[in-house]
Amino acid sequence: MKGVTTYIYRDFIRWIRYRVGVISSLVLPAAWLLFVGLALPVTFTGNYLDFITPGILVMTILTAGISSGSLLMFDKILGFLNKFLAMPVPRESILVSKILFISIRGLIQATIILLIAVLIGATLLNPLQYGLIYLILFLFGVFISAFSTTIALYLNDHDSFAAFTAMVTMPLFFTSSALMPYSSMPTWLSAIAHVNPLSFAIDAIRDVGAGSIPVVSIVLLLVFTTIVAVLAGYVFRKATV
Amino acid sequence: MTAILTEGLTKNFGDLCAVEGLDLSVDKEIFGLLGPNGSGKTTTVLMLTTLLAQTKGSASICGHDTRLDPEKVRDCISYVPQDMAVDTNLTGRENMLIFAWLYGIPNPKDKVDELLAVMELSDRADDLAKTYSGGMRRRLELAEALVHEPEVIFLDEPTIGLDVAARRNIWTHIRKMTRKGMTIFMTTHYMDEADQYCDRVGIISRGKIAALGTPSTLKAHLMKDVITVTIEGDYAPVQLDGSMFVGQSDDSISFTVENGREALPLLADALKQSGNRVKAMSLREPSLDDVFLQSVGKQEEPKGFEEFKFHMMLHRRH
Repeated sequence: MKGVTTYIYRDFIRWIRYRVGVISSLVLPAAWLLFVGLALPVTFTGNYLDFITPGILVMTILTAGISSGSLLMFDKILGFLNKFLAMPVPRESILVSKILFISIRGLIQATIILLIAVLIGATLLNPLQYGLIYLILFLFGVFISAFSTTIALYLNDHDSFAAFTAMVTMPLFFTSSALMPYSSMPTWLSAIAHVNPLSFAIDAIRDVGAGSIPVVSIVLLLVFTTIVAVLAGYVFRKATV
Repeated sequence: MTAILTEGLTKNFGDLCAVEGLDLSVDKEIFGLLGPNGSGKTTTVLMLTTLLAQTKGSASICGHDTRLDPEKVRDCISYVPQDMAVDTNLTGRENMLIFAWLYGIPNPKDKVDELLAVMELSDRADDLAKTYSGGMRRRLELAEALVHEPEVIFLDEPTIGLDVAARRNIWTHIRKMTRKGMTIFMTTHYMDEADQYCDRVGIISRGKIAALGTPSTLKAHLMKDVITVTIEGDYAPVQLDGSMFVGQSDDSISFTVENGREALPLLADALKQSGNRVKAMSLREPSLDDVFLQSVGKQEEPKGFEEFKFHMMLHRRH
């Protein structure tokens, strides 16, 4: 446990000191929310801001998480990983700390978005609803960061990994239910959107916003997250000895 | 308990044999593993530090087997890779604290202060490590490696890329560590450093130990010293135990001797007694370079081996 918190502390300081990175990670989702939420002349739903906010939240976790697989890869390339692996700290704590750090950092960004959303006119929810939203976002964050860390360890080369994330992010976002309800989609898009993991998290958050508790979605998200995390652990162990 | 003990340690990458049947015993000394690029130095260190699984054979550190008891091995070692892995956006102190916390030592702050002082980094401790010189970064890494008072420290090319003053400084610190009973296992390219600072060296070539011993015995065993004498007039032959007449060209005569420094005055006396008039004498001792070249043999630049092997090694190494 000491190992996990220390590794998270290290990544956190390194992130904070890298000021451009912090600013960009906060400005980007805010820009999305403002431009898409306020500027697009859309009439799908009553309050489009309430509709689009879950989509932006999940997209933020996605973009923050998917590129972060490179954190572990860079530790490996620059020689830090070998130092850490030669220590008596349990080796898995390196992987766990990376996944937790990326997820927590995503939640910090999500908080900014929630604040801005309320400021510009989204409906204020009750504490239980916010708690559930954070739970869903956290599970999705672990899912994405475990996935991207696994891919990064597997590809083991920064250029390939950057190409991979660029290829995955945008299509995933546009084929999800983030921007429009299923009813407004063409049939082919609706079919894809229904099996897109992003829509899964987005729909769950919308259910929370509508006042219900999406137990099935949360349990399923938990199951998928566990599977990907176990897979990440397996690839990590293979890559380290 | 021997600090480092290996028996038939072997590592294959596919059909490339990186290390073959390594038998070593290292204890409370500075041991230098020398070898040309691609000879298996780093592979050996990675196996000893539990970062790479061997194909055959065994290795134990402080009595713990590296495969059966890796946690216990990691408890008593430190490993400083050659990459200079220092978090440059953290201060020296922050870098150190992270290691102190990870090792879970009591009073991390005091220990960090103490080691920063030992490595002469106290006055720069709160500056970001990116403002440090290469030598300072290396000293910071050494300080990190000392945090849990390990019994064995592995240093991969500790002085690579440093200037002469920084190299000497690093060596002073490394020597200080062994005085406290630590065992240092290091790899290097610099023969002069190995000669000057290592208690024992092993020369590795194509995965096998080609020579092993103290620098002076290696030099004495493998190469004889050469004494050249310049005389006036005709040469009157001399007999001296341990010396051998090699030849004469004009007025200079050459001998090979077992130990040049000791033979020099004896030979001078013997020459005088036989009636030679000695004008000058010179002694050339073999350097570790000579030993290295002789034991490694003619070394070709590592050929570009097949790419898949290269990738396989990269995967394991990084």
